[in-house]
Amino acid sequence: MTTASEPQEREREPTLERLRLTLFVSGASATSSRAVVRLRDLCDRHWPSGYDLEIVDIYQQPEVVFARGVLAVPTLIKELPLPVKVLIGDFTDESRVLTALGMPGTKRG
Amino acid sequence: MANTDSENLGDLVRSRLPKSPTGIVGFDEITGGGLPAGRPSLVCGPPGTGKSLFALQFLVNGIKLYGEPGVFLTFEQSRADVVADVSSLDLDIDGLEADGRLLVDALMLEPQAIETGEFNLEALMVRLAWAVEKFGAKRVAIDNVEALFAAFTKPALVRSELQRLFRLLKDQGLTTVITGERGDGTLTRHGIEEYLSDCVVVLDDRVVQDVATRRLRVLKYRGSNHGRNEYPFLIGAHGLEVLPITSLGLNKQVSAERVSTGVPGLDDMLGGEGVFRGSGILVSGSSGTGKTTIGASFADAACQRGEVVLFFSFEESEAEIHRNMSSVGLDLTGWVDRGLLHFHCERPTTRGLEDHLAMMQQLIQEKAPTLVVIDPVSSLARGATAFDVSAMLMRQVYYLKAAGITAVMTVLTDESDLAQSIINISSLVDTSLELVVLTALGERNRGLYVLKSRGTAHSNQIREFVLSDTGVEVVPVVIGAEGLLTGSARIAAESAERVSAESMSLESEELARALERRRETVDEHVATLRDDFAAEERLTQRLITASEQRQEALRLDRLAQGRRRTVRPPEVEP
Repeated sequence: MTTASEPQEREREPTLERLRLTLFVSGASATSSRAVVRLRDLCDRHWPSGYDLEIVDIYQQPEVVFARGVLAVPTLIKELPLPVKVLIGDFTDESRVLTALGMPGTKRG
Repeated sequence: MANTDSENLGDLVRSRLPKSPTGIVGFDEITGGGLPAGRPSLVCGPPGTGKSLFALQFLVNGIKLYGEPGVFLTFEQSRADVVADVSSLDLDIDGLEADGRLLVDALMLEPQAIETGEFNLEALMVRLAWAVEKFGAKRVAIDNVEALFAAFTKPALVRSELQRLFRLLKDQGLTTVITGERGDGTLTRHGIEEYLSDCVVVLDDRVVQDVATRRLRVLKYRGSNHGRNEYPFLIGAHGLEVLPITSLGLNKQVSAERVSTGVPGLDDMLGGEGVFRGSGILVSGSSGTGKTTIGASFADAACQRGEVVLFFSFEESEAEIHRNMSSVGLDLTGWVDRGLLHFHCERPTTRGLEDHLAMMQQLIQEKAPTLVVIDPVSSLARGATAFDVSAMLMRQVYYLKAAGITAVMTVLTDESDLAQSIINISSLVDTSLELVVLTALGERNRGLYVLKSRGTAHSNQIREFVLSDTGVEVVPVVIGAEGLLTGSARIAAESAERVSAESMSLESEELARALERRRETVDEHVATLRDDFAAEERLTQRLITASEQRQEALRLDRLAQGRRRTVRPPEVEP
């Protein structure tokens, strides 16, 4: 958040913080199921420090959809670590997902 | 054009298609009842033409006037911006939201959303459906769907999702307004009009000769007839107001009350009683013919009756009017002090045509006058097209008539084109007075005649309009051997007439006296004759009597002689 943290960020081991994610899906649609599977797989592989994933079914919790200003499904909100990022789509483009989430896999890829 | 259109509009009212009134002044008239009920309609136009306002008004009116809750979904502004933008209008967004009858859903699209694969916009539909259900909404407005195309990289996907959204709205029977930005050669940038074929409304803001005029057109209305003209509209204190020239009701209340024009002699020309209250009066004439003075006289007369007058001056300042009117014996300052007369002086170029109209309507509502003077209406119209001018005037006249306000509008006829178009609408006004310049014998005098006056007997004569320091007056002209006499020629003719009238009366008196004298003479004569006759009669009578006595005496003598003869023989006779 501060400018002082910038050099730290580069050398920081991304394993220390837990990832907090919210994923909006629409019921049991094929795209949504596929997205959940892919996201879990990605996180398992690239975020060893663990993650909390909350899955919101837009049909079950429309008020949350409303409150969070979500338009598309699937939508992934990376709540922590900051900054908050919004991703939409079913995670087919793995490298973009990793870049967006700040996962070390980016460097490898 | 105007006539055929009004016939069409009459038919619209009988149209069977269920419609949702928008409550937007004029719009419901040209569409025969509003937008198609339970279906989405597209409102498109370039930025800044009032699309969002249209959408918002449709919802707010729906709640306030028709008891239909609404959801306003915007992709363009924050909720605070939505409220701030319409804060000058009496829409009361906050109050309606607090009542739970309106929801302003400001969806700021995440520009930094990262696309990682396949997705759809189902969440948009879910949130909208949820809001609709929660608020029991019957009306929805989505402002502006083009923003969705900017937020996502796949226009084809957005388009198909919008198509789905529109179907959903239709299935739920929601009357919806969808706004779109006009594209290059297309109605909307991304061609969404293709999916919104029920009703398409196009808004426009065109600048003609530096003056902007907003226009609205119903491009398409499936299954319904509609007014197909371009209608000027304005954004005033009550939001959007479409002013269809022909559809403003002709079924207004009319007054049979007459009010004085304030000009002695002019009332006489108008059947002796002046003009009808609530009628429109057009005073046309070239520069310096006294148009403002007539307007001021109307105002003065109304103030004398204790009525409120609103005087719009687009050429002179209030101080100038006071000075100029006091020179003809009209003191208006007193009425201003008493709060009866209100001036609004403004340069015509400060606003566009419809802004002026809106300003005037606002002031009229504020001051609630019974008489409005617009001096001159022609300078207001400078820079506008002939059509705009007549349209604006018609709107103004209808507005004032509907409100029962007497309107005096002056027109400067020097600007020939403009004046012509204004004169063209004279069919709309009830009384048209024309001021003319009468030049003869080296003088320039003001003449006035009644071009027309609906529903009142009126003089067909050109009379002289006299301005003097004791007041204004309309006097009958003198028709002499040389034609119409005005000014000093009239005065000369009048005095000559006076002189001859005097001499004539002298002569007749003389004759009468002569006759009297003659009568006396005759009488004397007759008396003398009678006396003479009486004397003669007496004399003659005496003579007759004497003669009769003599005859009697003679007879007695003869009798006596006869007796004697019978005693004695006749030989005694000599």
